[in-house]
Amino acid sequence: MKNKLIMAIALVMALVAGWTATTTTAQAATDDSLAQVQKSGKLVMGTSPDYPPYEFQATVHGKSQVVGMDVAVGKKIAKDLGVKLVVKSMSFDSLLVALQTGKVDMVISGMNPTPARRKNVDFTHTYYQGGYSIVINKSDKGIYKDKDSFVGKTIGAQTGSTMYTESKKQTSGTTVKGMTSVSDLILGLQSHKLQGVAMEKPSAQAYVANNKELAMIPSNFDLSASDTSASVAFAKGSTSLVAAANKSVDQIRKQNLVNKTYLPAAGKYLKTNTVNTSMLHYWKAFLKGIEYTLIITVCSVFFGFILGVLLSLARMAQGGVFATALRWLATAYVEFIRGTPMMVQVMFVYFGLGLIVNLPALTSGIIAISLNSGAYIAEYIRGGINSVDKGQTEAARSLGMTKGYTLRYVVLPQALKNIWPSLGNEFITLIKDSSIVSIIGVSELIFQSNIVRSDTYRGVAPIAVIMVLYFIMTFTASRILNHFERKMQHD
Amino acid sequence: MTKPIIEVKDLAKNFGDNQVLKNISEQVNPGQVIVVIGPSGGGKSTFLRCLNLLETPTSGEVDFDGQNLTTLDTKKVNTLREQMGMVFQNFNLFPNMTVLENIKLAPMKVKNISDADATKRAHELLQQVNLDDHADAFPTSLSGGQAQRVAIARALAMDPKVMLFDEPTSALDPEMVGEVLNVMQDLAQQGMTMVVVTHEMGFAKSVADRVWFMADGYIQENNTPEEFFSNPQTERAQDFLSKILM
Ligand SMILES: Nc1ncnc2c1ncn2[C@@H]1O[C@H](COP(=O)(O)OP(=O)(O)O)[C@@H](O)[C@H]1O
Ligand SMILES: [Mg+2]
Repeated sequence: MKNKLIMAIALVMALVAGWTATTTTAQAATDDSLAQVQKSGKLVMGTSPDYPPYEFQATVHGKSQVVGMDVAVGKKIAKDLGVKLVVKSMSFDSLLVALQTGKVDMVISGMNPTPARRKNVDFTHTYYQGGYSIVINKSDKGIYKDKDSFVGKTIGAQTGSTMYTESKKQTSGTTVKGMTSVSDLILGLQSHKLQGVAMEKPSAQAYVANNKELAMIPSNFDLSASDTSASVAFAKGSTSLVAAANKSVDQIRKQNLVNKTYLPAAGKYLKTNTVNTSMLHYWKAFLKGIEYTLIITVCSVFFGFILGVLLSLARMAQGGVFATALRWLATAYVEFIRGTPMMVQVMFVYFGLGLIVNLPALTSGIIAISLNSGAYIAEYIRGGINSVDKGQTEAARSLGMTKGYTLRYVVLPQALKNIWPSLGNEFITLIKDSSIVSIIGVSELIFQSNIVRSDTYRGVAPIAVIMVLYFIMTFTASRILNHFERKMQHD
Repeated sequence: MTKPIIEVKDLAKNFGDNQVLKNISEQVNPGQVIVVIGPSGGGKSTFLRCLNLLETPTSGEVDFDGQNLTTLDTKKVNTLREQMGMVFQNFNLFPNMTVLENIKLAPMKVKNISDADATKRAHELLQQVNLDDHADAFPTSLSGGQAQRVAIARALAMDPKVMLFDEPTSALDPEMVGEVLNVMQDLAQQGMTMVVVTHEMGFAKSVADRVWFMADGYIQENNTPEEFFSNPQTERAQDFLSKILM
């Protein structure tokens, strides 16, 4: 999972890089970042809400929303600028890409302003100076003292985070395993695949406070200030916006707002979250996940089908240069889509196309999956059309019907009947595969289950729940499809 | 002299290097029944399909009702094609529609005839081919003879000026050949212009006005049935007749 994701991001970055190169330099010359935000009246903050107490999901007045000390920092900056704060959730790995492609105006996600990151984005002053701890199983207390006690053992850290890099650098004889979400790391710890998990001290405190089986030890990493501090990231060259945000950040530091106000408030949300960790309590979150999964699947199959019909016709176009070009293009498209991972396509549509038109994550997800499934459906339809006897076309044409009518009234209905089982399979596959859009922060079922996992500090239960939910969905869908299949087989 | 309804001039058709039709020039007059006979692979089907442009001729002309089809645009060809009904060896009924729907489809979609009118006409045609009680059946439930009669009714529903038949009885069990030939004979008696490719020599003898003998891409002989069967002119025809009449 981790490697695939990193590779996908690398690819998207590479594709996007050429694109942005020119625009970024142009931006630096005339920096209107602050004016733009003030004009739009809102400041979009990107964050990865599985990192309490920095940012996490909590149910506030019956509605699930992102809270935590980072959100408080974001609110303060937005308020000082006189604009509204909009919070966008996505995986930690995607945050900087989102910033560079203009999907978000700033990133606040417990992010350390390391020199490597500084090359690509601009940071404010630090709003919080933390440190690292290592979370261990309470039963192991006394065995492990700090980072050097894990020789021959495995410790985990969040992929793409500073902890991950430093754990690799500063331990020897210790295996360092990266995972995307902290909930997965804790689960790995509790199932003894990991012996320790390195994370920011406030997060470690939150986990230990909410889970009786965990304990924490100091990490004793040798760290520079930039490695342990958290800053707000802005797109490279947005000097005016950084300067404005720095005023807010300086106030936060001066008045010690994080320790005095933000962290205690976050702690309260954590308590409300963990008061009731039964899965039933989270039915709303799961329901929302189901809703989005179904919306994505139904829309994608619908648009994918239309695209598939057009593509399959284009692939069978005959006569003339235009038809040859069309056929060639359609073939190239189908081959290209089938030869690249859906995950990369999703990221490309969201981040890449986002440079031209700013599409919401859900729309991007539906577009990407429609484009993907269109290529597959096109092949089914082409096969279906070829499976219809040529005599059918001849009979229709001999009756004076045009090519279009022949296709619509004679060939396609028979082709569809032949490929109905394949189309049904595609639908069921999409129910499952639509989960890929969770990486761009669409709140479908997988995304929702990850939120429930980090909210409740329970690693396995939400997975079991969604497994059952997915099965119910696919099973129901296949029953319904079978019913229609039988209805079509009237003779 | 009557004007021919179909006139073919120097018609040729190649499939790649394979010259299937070689410079054919013939005429069909209104009301005539032409029976085309000849050895298999001789180009009979290709010839028939060139008449309604299901196959595009490589060179030459096909004139229908005074218009040269090969120079017309697709739209015009479509409208002229509906005036030439075609019946195939394998019926080619639409399996996803009932008998009635098979017949109604083209009149409704192509001629924009109302559902009620199309239904009424379809029932008339089904009575004509003796199948009105099968109006709501699906094609797979029909016997070969019934299916072919439906196919004839379907072609007639467009009120064609000419009917083209490509071996309409070749796929049938022997006991069903008669019912289809009877329908065709009735049609001929009503004055329908017909071009029939068939191996039914009895039908050729009793119904045809002219017999065209086709082999090796040429119409080798164009004669009255009496003359053709009693006194074939070409060696090719004599050879063919001696084989099938054995
Ligand atoms: N679509 C086609 N492509 C290539 N060759 C064809 C095609 N249709 C017919 N032929 C060839 O043309 C010749 C004549 O075929 P056809 O007209 O079906 O003869 P007949 O109906 O007299 O048996 C045969 O050699 C056949 O292989
Ligand atoms: Mg033939």
